[in-house]
Amino acid sequence: MKKKILKWGLIVVIGGLLIGVGITLYMFNQPHRDVQATTADYKMDANQLVNEYLANAEASNEKYLDEEGESKIIEVTGRVSEISADLNNNVVILLKTNGDKAGVSCTLLKTTDSANINLGDVVTIKGVIRAGAGYDEDLGLYEDVIMEKGKIIKQ
Amino acid sequence: MKIWGFMKMLLWKKEKSLNSNNYNNKPLKNKFMKKTIFSLAIVGILILSSAFSTIGDKLVSKSGHVSFYSHTAIEDISADNFKMVSTLETETGEMVFSVPMQSFEFEKSLMQKHFNSSKFLDTKKFPKSKFIGKITNLNDIDFSANGTYTANVTGDLTIHGVTKNITKNATITVSGAKVTVDVELSITLADYNIAFKKGKPSTNIAKTIDAKIKAEFN
Repeated sequence: MKKKILKWGLIVVIGGLLIGVGITLYMFNQPHRDVQATTADYKMDANQLVNEYLANAEASNEKYLDEEGESKIIEVTGRVSEISADLNNNVVILLKTNGDKAGVSCTLLKTTDSANINLGDVVTIKGVIRAGAGYDEDLGLYEDVIMEKGKIIKQ
Repeated sequence: MKIWGFMKMLLWKKEKSLNSNNYNNKPLKNKFMKKTIFSLAIVGILILSSAFSTIGDKLVSKSGHVSFYSHTAIEDISADNFKMVSTLETETGEMVFSVPMQSFEFEKSLMQKHFNSSKFLDTKKFPKSKFIGKITNLNDIDFSANGTYTANVTGDLTIHGVTKNITKNATITVSGAKVTVDVELSITLADYNIAFKKGKPSTNIAKTIDAKIKAEFN
């Protein structure tokens, strides 16, 4: 009788441990959010996003940034005013209208084809927002809205 | 032509004052002295004009790389960020780095969430970290000549809303029109009120992490 209780007790404990370890491992190795596979939270023009930040950065951070870094996914439309590459060899597209103080600087995923994008084109890029726009008096210039993991979804 | 007349006048005045300063009151007939004063005046004018043409010579960079590395017996953690904006004033040696904190990419999603969370860097409340500094040995660096220079940089580093004064050596590489600034620093997290009170992250993240910053100015 005692032996039976011991046996079942042991099975329950080991089973519980295995489940616990399984959950921990799953949590630990959970994949990054796939920005492109997630539905966009907002669809808007680049200058609308910039202007919201210039008008009220704090309220915009509250609206667009997430506490754990999984910030809003936005489909942003604007005019291509700069095409460059970052130090990780990703293509960076600046959406900015002539005369605007700041634009939206969007880093594209390596898997995204941007070969036929030209300056002046109007495109829509889907990506995740990382930081807002604003005048920085130490830099002495306007910083752009920063978006990453971008893909051109319309051109 | 007018300038020459003006310079001659300056020279004549200088000669006169030098003469009067001469205690045995000998006239300045020394040709060598004259030549020296003349060339000094020219050098002075050249320095002035070059200074004026480069005032406000601010380099702006949107190509940067910030990475950090944390080592403990349990786990090594690293992250990369390619969205830094920086400025460098070659005339005054002032430099500013602005780093969007949510752009740090980790290998593991959970680490990235921990990093951003309000218990750690609270990137929703403090979306950017910033360094405002100045090169203190500007005379040792020639931004117009190719080479590698060591710059002593001192300034204020703000992370997580906490500002600390730091002094570090930076490597400045000049190659044609391209200027690259490299800095390595170690950051003691507790200095910036960054700490997990308990749980796994508190044991798996080093108390002091190594950060590398690179900015390319074209």
